[in-house]
Amino acid sequence: MDNTNERIAMAPLPTAGELRHRRNTFGQFFRFMRINWTMWRLARKKHH
Amino acid sequence: MARVVVLGAGVSGHTAALYLKKRLGKAHDVVVVSPNSNYNWIPSNIWVGVGKMTTEDVVFPLAPIYKKKGIEFVQAKAFALWPEGDADDDRPAVEVEYTSAAKAGQTEKLRYDYVVNATGPKLNFAATPGLGPDGGHTVSVCTPSHATEASTKLDDVIAAAKSGKTQKVVIGVGHGTCTCEGAAFEYTFNVDHELRAAGVRDKVEVTYLTNENELGDFGVGGMQFEQNGFRTTSQLWTESLYRERGVKAVTGAAVTSIDEGVIHYDQLDGSHNDMEFDFAMLLPPFRGADWKAFDKAGEDITGTVFAPSGFLKVDANYTPKPYEEWSAKDWPRTYQNPTYKNVFAVGIAFAPPHQISKPRATPDGLAVAPSPPRTGMPSGTMGKIVAFSIADMILKGATEPTHSASMSEMAAACVASAGAGMRTGTAAAMTMSPVVPDWEKYPETGRNLKETFGEIGLAGHWVKRLLHTLFIYKAKVKPGWTWIPE
Repeated sequence: MDNTNERIAMAPLPTAGELRHRRNTFGQFFRFMRINWTMWRLARKKHH
Repeated sequence: MARVVVLGAGVSGHTAALYLKKRLGKAHDVVVVSPNSNYNWIPSNIWVGVGKMTTEDVVFPLAPIYKKKGIEFVQAKAFALWPEGDADDDRPAVEVEYTSAAKAGQTEKLRYDYVVNATGPKLNFAATPGLGPDGGHTVSVCTPSHATEASTKLDDVIAAAKSGKTQKVVIGVGHGTCTCEGAAFEYTFNVDHELRAAGVRDKVEVTYLTNENELGDFGVGGMQFEQNGFRTTSQLWTESLYRERGVKAVTGAAVTSIDEGVIHYDQLDGSHNDMEFDFAMLLPPFRGADWKAFDKAGEDITGTVFAPSGFLKVDANYTPKPYEEWSAKDWPRTYQNPTYKNVFAVGIAFAPPHQISKPRATPDGLAVAPSPPRTGMPSGTMGKIVAFSIADMILKGATEPTHSASMSEMAAACVASAGAGMRTGTAAAMTMSPVVPDWEKYPETGRNLKETFGEIGLAGHWVKRLLHTLFIYKAKVKPGWTWIPE
């Protein structure tokens, strides 16, 4: 039995703080740098 | 002088051709065969599909790039491989049919010393009756023209909703064995964003229809990652994103056929279901390009070179075995064909040894088995390491491939945008490392938790936009292109 929509209905929603965090330009700039650095690092390793 | 033929000019083929030429220089020939005259940065087709970009933003002509780099470009479609040569010539060959206006329909055998198959997928809309934009009832975002049509039809939905009519939008996959669920997930987010921007979200019911057994599987069996000090799953993370956006979902579904305005699908519980729609973007399943292989005498050896799926066999362990016995070690490392050592396959063109996500079936035996995704980051890396190996074989006389990259070691990144705008955009950014879980190395979750994460925010949108610009810059071979990783 597919209970996906019941699970979606019970999934946690972001808090007001989390929503602010997602839009905070200053904070997101650091996330942007971190994501880029992680992706750069991952793309340049694990092949020989 | 050696001659290397690269079939396909997508992410992996284009990357392979550029690195081959860079390593081999003018002393050796590199030939690219592609039926399309343009390069397409496929991840941005999503934005074409909601009208945020045009075709011109995501494509550029290949011929000038290859001319500048000294690469021969043949606009044609490969349809036969002669890895032992033929009765007339001992040199192996690829038989192609030209698609350019000047030579359309003409065929030719291109001789090679090495060949790299990077033909990508055949979009197998025919697998599901009624699927696809060409004679079917659904749209797609797989090509720029498909995405443009999707955008136009989405505009019709928005116009109908503005006139007060309730609309039903379905986004997902059109067959039980599809892959690239991440693209459907991303398109869902973008459509939701556009509907909200148009002020009609309350008039439109959006449903995500997928073959994944649970949300967040993405064809890789889902993932776990740490967020704010807690361990969470991609399933809960995705369910949360869907709740936030008011998107419904149907999982474990195999679409069986599509009529005008109605999708017919079966689910793992054995149920047969119908879903009405006004707009449906369903991705097709993939299979290998339609081509055959022949030995020197002209006998068909397609089954030796290619898997039944049409993808080319490489150095993977294709021994059939139960799901529980599948191992990260089964995955290929060098992408060299085991029978013909001068034949390689990269990107979507190589035959994976098995699914990553657990394959399932309905009680009627209908497969509900997401196929392994081969996204841009690993595909580009495969193209690069195969180019390096071939260059070493030509220049240094190496007898075996000298470079390797397994999907059970490589990472992949997925940035699923959800609306554009430097201050208003947002995106879900994910990385997983490795793509294929290695349960021996990472017994707890199958993946490296320090390199696997998911988060949503404005930063993800900036990353997505940056990747669009950087990868098109790289593909155009502008100064410093090698500094941009695959």
